[in-house]
Amino acid sequence: MEVLLPHSLEEALAIKGERPEATPIAGGTDLMVDLNFGRLRPAAMIDLSRVAELASWQQEDGHVFLGAGLTYATIVKEMPEFKPLVQASRSVGSPQIRNRGTVGGNLGTASPAGDALPVLAAYDADVVLRSRARGERSLAWHAFLTGPKKTAIAPDELIIGTRWRRLRGPGSFSKIGTRNAMVISVAGLCLVVDEENGAVKVALGSVGPTILRATEAEQQIAAAMTSSGAWQDSSITITEQVIDEFGSLVAAAAKPLDDVRGTAAYRRHGCRVLARRALIWALNERRLPAWL
Amino acid sequence: MRQPADELSIVGKSLIKPDAFSKVSGQTKFADDLALPRMIYGRILRSPHPHARILRVDTSRARAHPGVLAVLTGDDLPIKFGILPVSQDEEALAKEKVRYVGDPIAAVAATDEWIADEALDLIDVQFQELPPVMSIEQAIAGAGEPIHGTSNVHKTVALEFGDTDEALRAAAHVREDAVFFEGSTHLPMEQHAAVAQVAADGKLTLWTSSQTPHYVHRALGKVLEMPMSRIRVIATPNGGGFGGKSDIFAHELVAAKLALVTGRPVKITLTREEVFYAHRGRHPVLMKVKTGFRKDGRITAMQFQSFLDGGGYGSYGVASTYYTGALQATTYAIPRYRFEAVRFFTNKPPCGPKRGHGTPQPRFALETHLDKVAEELGIDPVELRRRNLPKPDSRTVNWLRITSIGLEECINKVVEGSGFLKRRTSMPAGRGLGFAVSCYLSGAGTAIYWNEMPHSEVQLKLDRNGGVSLLCGAIDIGQGSDHILAAIVAEVLGVSLEDIQLTTADTDLTPIDLGSYSSRVTFMAGNAAKAAAEKVRDRLFEVAAKALQCDPDELIARDHRVVRRNRPADGMDFAQAVQLAEAQDGLVTGTGSYTPPKLAGPYKGSGVGPSPAYSYSAAVVEVDCDSRTGEVRVPEVWIAHDIGRAINPMLVIGQVEGSVYMALGEALMEEQSFRLGLHKFPSLLEYKSPTALETPIMHTYLVETIDREGPFGAKEAGQGPLLPVIPAVANAIYNALGVRIDEVPITPDKVLKAMNDRSKRVGPKSVPAFDFPPLINADVPDEWKGK
Ligand SMILES: Cc1cc2nc3c(=O)[nH]c(=O)nc-3n(C[C@H](O)[C@H](O)[C@H](O)COP(=O)(O)OP(=O)(O)OC[C@H]3O[C@@H](n4cnc5c(N)ncnc54)[C@H](O)[C@@H]3O)c2cc1C
Repeated sequence: MEVLLPHSLEEALAIKGERPEATPIAGGTDLMVDLNFGRLRPAAMIDLSRVAELASWQQEDGHVFLGAGLTYATIVKEMPEFKPLVQASRSVGSPQIRNRGTVGGNLGTASPAGDALPVLAAYDADVVLRSRARGERSLAWHAFLTGPKKTAIAPDELIIGTRWRRLRGPGSFSKIGTRNAMVISVAGLCLVVDEENGAVKVALGSVGPTILRATEAEQQIAAAMTSSGAWQDSSITITEQVIDEFGSLVAAAAKPLDDVRGTAAYRRHGCRVLARRALIWALNERRLPAWL
Repeated sequence: MRQPADELSIVGKSLIKPDAFSKVSGQTKFADDLALPRMIYGRILRSPHPHARILRVDTSRARAHPGVLAVLTGDDLPIKFGILPVSQDEEALAKEKVRYVGDPIAAVAATDEWIADEALDLIDVQFQELPPVMSIEQAIAGAGEPIHGTSNVHKTVALEFGDTDEALRAAAHVREDAVFFEGSTHLPMEQHAAVAQVAADGKLTLWTSSQTPHYVHRALGKVLEMPMSRIRVIATPNGGGFGGKSDIFAHELVAAKLALVTGRPVKITLTREEVFYAHRGRHPVLMKVKTGFRKDGRITAMQFQSFLDGGGYGSYGVASTYYTGALQATTYAIPRYRFEAVRFFTNKPPCGPKRGHGTPQPRFALETHLDKVAEELGIDPVELRRRNLPKPDSRTVNWLRITSIGLEECINKVVEGSGFLKRRTSMPAGRGLGFAVSCYLSGAGTAIYWNEMPHSEVQLKLDRNGGVSLLCGAIDIGQGSDHILAAIVAEVLGVSLEDIQLTTADTDLTPIDLGSYSSRVTFMAGNAAKAAAEKVRDRLFEVAAKALQCDPDELIARDHRVVRRNRPADGMDFAQAVQLAEAQDGLVTGTGSYTPPKLAGPYKGSGVGPSPAYSYSAAVVEVDCDSRTGEVRVPEVWIAHDIGRAINPMLVIGQVEGSVYMALGEALMEEQSFRLGLHKFPSLLEYKSPTALETPIMHTYLVETIDREGPFGAKEAGQGPLLPVIPAVANAIYNALGVRIDEVPITPDKVLKAMNDRSKRVGPKSVPAFDFPPLINADVPDEWKGK
């Protein structure tokens, strides 16, 4: 097997253009598992770990750009204000995995259990792709993630990163699993509140063929907050009944299956519990004084 | 002669064990670290089917593969073996039939592991698939071809001690419960590995990560048809055993055979996936317990039934079966006892001994049962236990001789430490406290193969410069047996730990120790080491006394000196004493042996259960339950263990904490479960066991009872403390949420199910109908007659 070692993005794109069959490897925390089990025997690999351009993040005109090569450990260290993303990053694997694993790799694998993905989905993020021949394009997250472990990337493209409009409002990521580390989610949920647009966004992981948004639930809670005036006045309480209904709608949005990690019924139930909790946290956080 | 603790200088101290630095700095050579010149690598082809007949094995393409040096099939190793003489049912490579996914069929040796793997893909096996038997119910139903012989029943036991039916009829209160305990695996950090080498003269050496090198030695002799004197087995330090390396494994026999065939050293290291299939771990057991009580809570009689799901082969299963019924009466005073058990063959990886061997399952049944009875009788669960404590220096109704018992003190420690009685009734929502106790053996009183010889032997050789060479067959599996041997000898001879040179677990060099299983090494090899050390010490005292012109009885050995007890200035260096003895009649050596007392009762099957001494434990577990997700966290555990004497308290605490950790894994998440014969999650990522983040705060109390049979009074520590923790978790969940999960592991979906069910319970309704053989009515010991 050939291992190609580009030192710049330009070089990496050139290699990918010439050798579209070559498999990119970032942290290798998904790929090496497949190699070890013999599920994958690529003729060539492109090691992206030396490509500095991929390993950075910036904010520009109200948007955030997160490079594909950013590791979870770096996110936890450098991006504390992006709480849901940090919570998701901190829940990935173990310290060793977080030191190597990248968001680009999570996107590349496109597992429905990828923990960064519900966060990107809740942010309505775009995935930025680039090829030497055709330049850059952006795809909405749902256009990029086309199915379980399937993406819309072209053979000559690399994932450059992901971009989303910065939101003002509370949010969280939470997941259910058998233990507190080294656990692939049984159910994962990201909820973010967009105060400017009066919207609540909820994305689910591990409970369907790909990441799911609970749009009915999103509309229900946004409407309830509008009619009660809670968007303007955060001290207005949202009734237990509304929260229950929100939980039920989120659970209804899930399309879980039975597998070795959990039953479909437990997963759906888990979505309901995570949704209720995430909503209550967000509502409580909205009530905190601004200086906190 | 028992010495008071304050005279001891090494025993009883938390000293750093001799292998600690090499372990933590990565210098310890485990089996897989060995590399010999010209070494090649073996890999094993395993069955993809749970139950199938092998019609044809064609190895021609594999043999032709470049880099392949040998290919073996069942024809090359036709002699059957098994760890127990009564269960010689395994083949190193299956010839006619495979009985679980993972059953070995053929093996390849090649110049590297990749080539060997490629060659495995080139072996063509034709199978005729047979309907698999995947559960106890299917095994009873008996449809399809039996896995072995004419029936899927491997072993039955039916014993009665006194008339239990009559005693139950007369009881004021009777309760019956059915529970299920799922199987789990050992999960050692180190995968099994073996390296075989054949010398120019044909002598075979096998290095293997084994807890039982002596039994491997015997099996190699049998299967390879070689005299044992032409075979040397060296056990390498085990990177964790927990019972998972105490069987004879196919890769050990195959590596040896490949080395014999190719003339080159051969290494086989199992993959993690293979370790899950090699297994020999905890049996899934379905149980029924029925107990009668007087009004005051004292037990009048117990009937216990267990149904074991054994997997594809016998392994230790006959012993496991007896163990599910052996220790009920050592924990509680039970005047009448009936025990019926059956072990079935199923098409799953064979089960065997895992930490607690056959006793955590009945312990779970018994301790949750008593918790329910306590509530029904309106007696607190601690008091119910107190009213049923066994007596020290007694015999149980099933003839087990008990010496020291520290159970009451263990109970006091954890109950006081946790504030159990006061806090239990006023826990915040979702929080609960659970209590349970247990008992375990300090080594099996009988050997695995019938013989009259000692179970442990130690040989000492003293150097002129005061060093001591210690030879013993015991293998350190991380539990610290090297330290125990060195500490005991150093204590008796008055030298320091660093003066002891250990050579262990090498069948050419070291005398027998039966192995690191059944919590026997500290007790038995420790007794042998003490006997050997006392022999050489007495010899040194004899010559020293002459030189010092005093009586040998006046002498003591301390701080590298042999001195007069009351005139410590009057003495000589230890080395000087050795030199005097050596000058007088040559090399100073001494041997010690330990044979357990004959303790079996007057009935068939009485060989499993007797031990020279029993350890006791008590635990209180606190749980924090999430009533919406069903998740259970364990923030704190209080555990007390009757260790007899802690030869090294730090090591004992390590064993206790490790047991708690392992128990929590079994209680809450671990399970060896299968789909279409395939293990559902044979990887460290997906087979869930706790991490450091789930490990609770542990309060460990060591209770010393100075047992008269143990070395310096020591009993066991490696297994017993696991036992009470699992039922204590279940009892705590009941205290927290009011639900009974009578099934291990207690996963969140079961907790939720119980909370939503009217019965507030998840667990088996009953046990299946099964015709046990007629009861053997054993006599009861005199002390129980008429009670
Ligand atoms: C023990 C363990 C625990 C884990 N726990 C979790 C967990 O809790 N949560 C979770 O979500 N995941 C978990 N994972 C999976 C894995 O760590 C993550 O999916 C991680 O984000 C992968 O990133 P990586 O950089 O290692 O990807 P790699 O393995 O390097 O690559 C993954 C895929 O993405 C492609 N790829 C990578 N970068 C690019 C790029 N720039 N352009 C195009 N394609 C690219 C690769 O070709 C490959 O197909 C775990 C893995 C292990 C081994």
